[in-house]
Amino acid sequence: MSWLVGAPVILPLAVAALLFVLQGRREAQRVISTASTALLVTLSAILLYRVSEGGILVAQFGEWRAPFGISFVADHLSAIMVVITGVMAVATAVYALRDIDPDREALGYHPLFQVLLAGINGAFLTGDLFNMYVWFEVLLIASFVLLTLGNRREQLEGGIKYVAVNLVSSLVFLGAIGLVYGVTGTLNMADLAIRLPQAPGGLVSVIAMLFMVAFGIKAALFPLFFWLPASYHTPPQAIAAIFAGMLTKVGVYALIRVFTLLFVHDVAYTHTILLWIAGFTMVTGVLGAAAQNDFRKILSFHIISQIGYMIMGLALYTPLALLGAVFYIVHHIIVKANLFLVAGIVRRYAGSFDLDRLGGLYRRAPFLSVLFLVPAFSLAGFPPLSGFWAKLVVVLAAADVGAWPIVAVALVVGLLTIYSMTKIWQAAFWSPLPDGVELAPRPSGLLYAPVIGLALLTLAIGFWSGPFLAVAEAAATELMDPTAYVRAVLGDAAAATIGRTP
Amino acid sequence: MPGGDRVLIAVLLAFGVALAAPVIVRVAGDRSGWVLALLPAGITAYLLSHGSRVAAGESIVERVAWVSALDIHLSMRLDGLSLVFALMIAGIGTAIVIYAGGYLRGDRQLPRFYLLLLAFMAAMLGVVLSDNLISLFVFWELTSITSYFLVGYKHEDETSRKSALQALLVTAGGGLAMLAGFLILGLVGGTFEISELLSDPEAIRGHEAYLAILLLVGLGALTKSAQWPFHFWLPNAMAAPTPVSAYLHSATMVKAGVYLLARLSPALGGTPAWFWLLTLAGAATMLAAGSLALLQRDSKRLLAYSTLIALGTLVMLIGVGTPGAISAMIVFLVGHALYKAPLFMVAGSVDHEAGSRDVTALRGLGRVMPITWITALVAGLSAGGLPPLFGFVAKELAYEGLFENPLLLGALIAASAVMVLIVYLVAWRPFAGREIHAPSAPHEAPLSMWLGPALLAAGGAVLGFAPWLIGDSLMVPAAAAVLGELHPFRLYLWHGFTLALGLSAVTVALGVVLVWRWRPVHDALRSRTLGWTFGPVGGYDALMAGLVRFAAWQTRVLQSDDLRHHMTIILGFTVALTGLTATFRGELAFDLRHEAGYFYEYIVLVLVGAAAISALRAHSRLVAITSLGVAGFGIAIVFVFFAAPDLAITQFLVETLIVIIVALVLIRLPRGSLRETSNGSVRAIAGTIAVAGGALFTVLTLAVTALPFDASLTTFFEAESYPAAQGRNIVNVILVDFRAIDTLGEITVLAVAASGAYALLRRSFGRRRDDVDTEDRSDRVHVERGGGA
Amino acid sequence: MNSLILRSATQLLLTILLLFSFFLMLRGHDLPGGGFIGGLVAAAAVALYAIAFGYRAAQAMLRISPRALVGWGLLAAVASGFLALLQGQAFLTGQWWIVELGGGAELKLSSPLLFDIGVYLVVVGTILTMLFALEER
Repeated sequence: MSWLVGAPVILPLAVAALLFVLQGRREAQRVISTASTALLVTLSAILLYRVSEGGILVAQFGEWRAPFGISFVADHLSAIMVVITGVMAVATAVYALRDIDPDREALGYHPLFQVLLAGINGAFLTGDLFNMYVWFEVLLIASFVLLTLGNRREQLEGGIKYVAVNLVSSLVFLGAIGLVYGVTGTLNMADLAIRLPQAPGGLVSVIAMLFMVAFGIKAALFPLFFWLPASYHTPPQAIAAIFAGMLTKVGVYALIRVFTLLFVHDVAYTHTILLWIAGFTMVTGVLGAAAQNDFRKILSFHIISQIGYMIMGLALYTPLALLGAVFYIVHHIIVKANLFLVAGIVRRYAGSFDLDRLGGLYRRAPFLSVLFLVPAFSLAGFPPLSGFWAKLVVVLAAADVGAWPIVAVALVVGLLTIYSMTKIWQAAFWSPLPDGVELAPRPSGLLYAPVIGLALLTLAIGFWSGPFLAVAEAAATELMDPTAYVRAVLGDAAAATIGRTP
Repeated sequence: MPGGDRVLIAVLLAFGVALAAPVIVRVAGDRSGWVLALLPAGITAYLLSHGSRVAAGESIVERVAWVSALDIHLSMRLDGLSLVFALMIAGIGTAIVIYAGGYLRGDRQLPRFYLLLLAFMAAMLGVVLSDNLISLFVFWELTSITSYFLVGYKHEDETSRKSALQALLVTAGGGLAMLAGFLILGLVGGTFEISELLSDPEAIRGHEAYLAILLLVGLGALTKSAQWPFHFWLPNAMAAPTPVSAYLHSATMVKAGVYLLARLSPALGGTPAWFWLLTLAGAATMLAAGSLALLQRDSKRLLAYSTLIALGTLVMLIGVGTPGAISAMIVFLVGHALYKAPLFMVAGSVDHEAGSRDVTALRGLGRVMPITWITALVAGLSAGGLPPLFGFVAKELAYEGLFENPLLLGALIAASAVMVLIVYLVAWRPFAGREIHAPSAPHEAPLSMWLGPALLAAGGAVLGFAPWLIGDSLMVPAAAAVLGELHPFRLYLWHGFTLALGLSAVTVALGVVLVWRWRPVHDALRSRTLGWTFGPVGGYDALMAGLVRFAAWQTRVLQSDDLRHHMTIILGFTVALTGLTATFRGELAFDLRHEAGYFYEYIVLVLVGAAAISALRAHSRLVAITSLGVAGFGIAIVFVFFAAPDLAITQFLVETLIVIIVALVLIRLPRGSLRETSNGSVRAIAGTIAVAGGALFTVLTLAVTALPFDASLTTFFEAESYPAAQGRNIVNVILVDFRAIDTLGEITVLAVAASGAYALLRRSFGRRRDDVDTEDRSDRVHVERGGGA
Repeated sequence: MNSLILRSATQLLLTILLLFSFFLMLRGHDLPGGGFIGGLVAAAAVALYAIAFGYRAAQAMLRISPRALVGWGLLAAVASGFLALLQGQAFLTGQWWIVELGGGAELKLSSPLLFDIGVYLVVVGTILTMLFALEER
């Protein structure tokens, strides 16, 4: 079944290559790109199913055995992330059919979108540190070009900030990889899990800090998040939605991966730093949102704040906390992407993202109002929507270990999140239409389809959280005990040496 | 499933009907109220059918697994306490649903209104029936949310929106504190099941976290029940349509806090902390509400303050916690529900039919609205605590329950006197008089709007004469549930000439004085306090304003528009975090002794160093980029030294092409000096970070190279390259075979870079697209707002 | 630039450099070279041509748009990976077909070679896309 492990990367990559060749044939590109996302989500779902039935799956590219060749590893976490990428791919691809203008399509929107998907999935699946760097580069360049596609001034300004800060991340990441390779002589992450504990702990801690920064930039943690609010409000909504959903989560994923698999030799130090960062990320993000008066900028700052909760789960480093982190990621991707999509529809109605120029939508578009409320209230953590369970689990995990300050931070930030979401609601939906603004007719139904789908998913996760929590629990269990991961990649003998000092 | 009863189904059915309400309203039209009232009426009947079992001391318990992983279940428990509350919710709900049909007749938002109202009712039933802390919290928050939408019903009015948000933030904020309290409670007790927690109260009361639990849970209950200093949201919530005020903000939702305190009192009660927290909050609420009521002349706001008085009374009685006080609390609760809901509905009818809620603007309405007036009088007499009504029975009992606490008793008497005044203002003044004064021509309310209040008021009258009707069957089991054990008591209309009766007389006398001196006192207070916001409200406003200011400040500081500022923070943080770790935890060991290099190695070193310095000091871009190219060439030479020809060739070619391409770009840019873009201190900070960063990486590299290198990877590649991969050039075999997937990724990067460069270069600078659909408007907004993040 | 010497020299150089770049790519599996280096050399050759004759002439000489080269190159590289899947092996597993040319000489056709050709095309295409886009403005 090894092809299945690689499929979530190879498929979009192959489609991208095909679409590059089909440059200029708009209809063909639209059909192939959209249809391929359906295939992508199907394959990803099969992968997750296989993993949950039979355990971790590994593929060795070129049939070169680990640790010499490059491994792709699908454990629960990776498979979950790949599935959610697939869901996002379908949702944004459908939305893009009406959202992306022919100009952008002519400039290569479709292949770029596929490359982005390949990069994201590559980062989730790879079991090799340098290969992860490659996928980070792939998704960085794809996202940069998608971000600036259209060349408006604010896009370029945002794009420059985005790419400059992210290049710092790449540089630090690459430097850290070099150091890790120098210390251990390997790049395979399972192999590293065996060898790093044998290296000098202090040196490994320092290297761990470099990874924390490199991935922290990607994840938009405090105080590294500047690129995000500077850029996410500039591209078309279909692009902004998949960025908002997926890009930071690649960073979060990478943090979870290395701080459960590789850097667990001094949890009291490394994970305590993470916990502090998590707290500051939550607070600064939500305050940033409170200062905004633009639909998309509020949403952008909230990404940061919500990332804090996920990192909080990682930092607490208990099975329940990691369960919460994984669940939180899934919930947040769906909800946040959906809010960006809704913002796009609102924009088509009222012509603006500025809250002062919005209004009257509750009266005019009650259905859209409901579609906003589901993700917005889920984000705010109102029960029984998905965000409630996500917050509940991480907070419960924190309470479990007596981390009361972070519990307090998490709850207060939750209240401020409610404030932000109601601010949008009251301004855009409840308040009367401002003078001089006229509402356009209802936009295309195709824009609604993904919004409805994601809203239903949010409701499903809320009301039937059981199965979702169970999958997240399986992921958390694997993360807390990497033996299964190592065994899957390197075999039984290697797995037996884990945690053993020479 | 013990008992096999399906209390849960009743709750879920209520949610189902709520969701279907918009459709039902469209079908039933003007008769919607009557049709939808079948739901609460049915639930009332269903609950009553369990009355005898509950009266016999039985609790109906059921549990449906929900999120088993977290010990969260949809557990339902119907005992004496929850039965009383549930009956109030469903019973008064019936009257309200019918009333709303008349009150909001023809309103185009009626379908949404009923959806929200019935969803609220379902959630409220869930709150009082849940036997699991988390599912209770879920329903609790749902009541806050539905309340938010109902308060903001007239959403195009700014006051409504502000009031809705205020109510939401206060109750949701308390709710989150309560959640924290629940989590601790769950951890301490080992379960979220309420009945299990209550079965071992000592484990909780004796735990070191007890005080934290009490304060956090208390915060949730006190905000929800609008206790001082959180009381202010309730009068403001009167922005809601009257049926909502009558139902949520008087009869049911605001009693959720009371319910929670009563429910948990077996486990949390009976301690000094409990006593002081609740009695002080309750007494403060009564007194604050009593004095603030003197400022009001809007009938709904007057009633809101009277509700606050009642809520304060209830919380205070729970705080006292003696069997007498608890019994009084239960009876008072029911008495209040039976008179306050009709009074609200009457005030709504008057507003609806006579066009005003200003009690000074209305006179003589009794002549045209006789049924409404009679209802108002009956309910009013009960509210004023006069015999022979149920309110009298309740108040007597409350007085008796407080005999041991004279100060609290005094507070209650004072507040009750204000109640008399409020009753006069709402139930007498607008109706009495021969001449009719009203903004619009008044007439009697329709059947749908007088039937419900009349029935409830009549209930108060019947129970006044025959309180035993509900004594043993409802009141005693409810009190037993709160007390944790059975304390039988009897309800009488006539107690004989007791101290309580004397105090009632005193109360009425005080009330009459207030009525007599009301107008001058009221006018004097109003003129003095105009424009002055009372403490806690001001606190809320200041908090919100402060939050926004602080948020704006923080964002200005952190998220400036300047990329250099961002880079400084990011790089500074990176160097600091890593450097501090290296210094204090790194325990880095390295060996500075090394072999003396070859002469030509030093030449390259000097070359690269000079190129780097030249790039730093360059005034023109062209010099800078050429210098960087030279540095790159130097690195390529290093590759040559270490026998890596492929890398060297690649590096040479890449550097060359980069210089060519960048030069092509530069000759198209306007001329400019690099210097003018930065000043001294900026350069100093950047320089410090750069030097520190460079030093850090040098140290780390030395530390790593001091370790023995494991070369198994290279060994494998060397061994396998030709036999297994048919290639002698290991670098190339790595690129196209061993790690071909890396290369595939990298050429994808190139392909995208090509696309990006094409898109950027072909379309940038000056040639703006005028794509109306997705572009122009946000551009305009952006410019107006000054740009930036 | 209207230098006759440059033009004549460029004509010659172009042919030599392009052949050399191909040679570099083909021999890359055993000796220094490979698709990346070959591609860079080829791109440099065309760049030289463009400097001498203008980018329009270079484009005309190329016959195919550089963006299409990128697409085909990527497609070739991905396709080389799929060859292994047909054999039931993992993606990108090397496939070899050694053709005897007689006289001891043999031609090694392989999926890594196809992959390297893909790399070559992408590199050429990318650099030329950038150059042409810059020149065009």
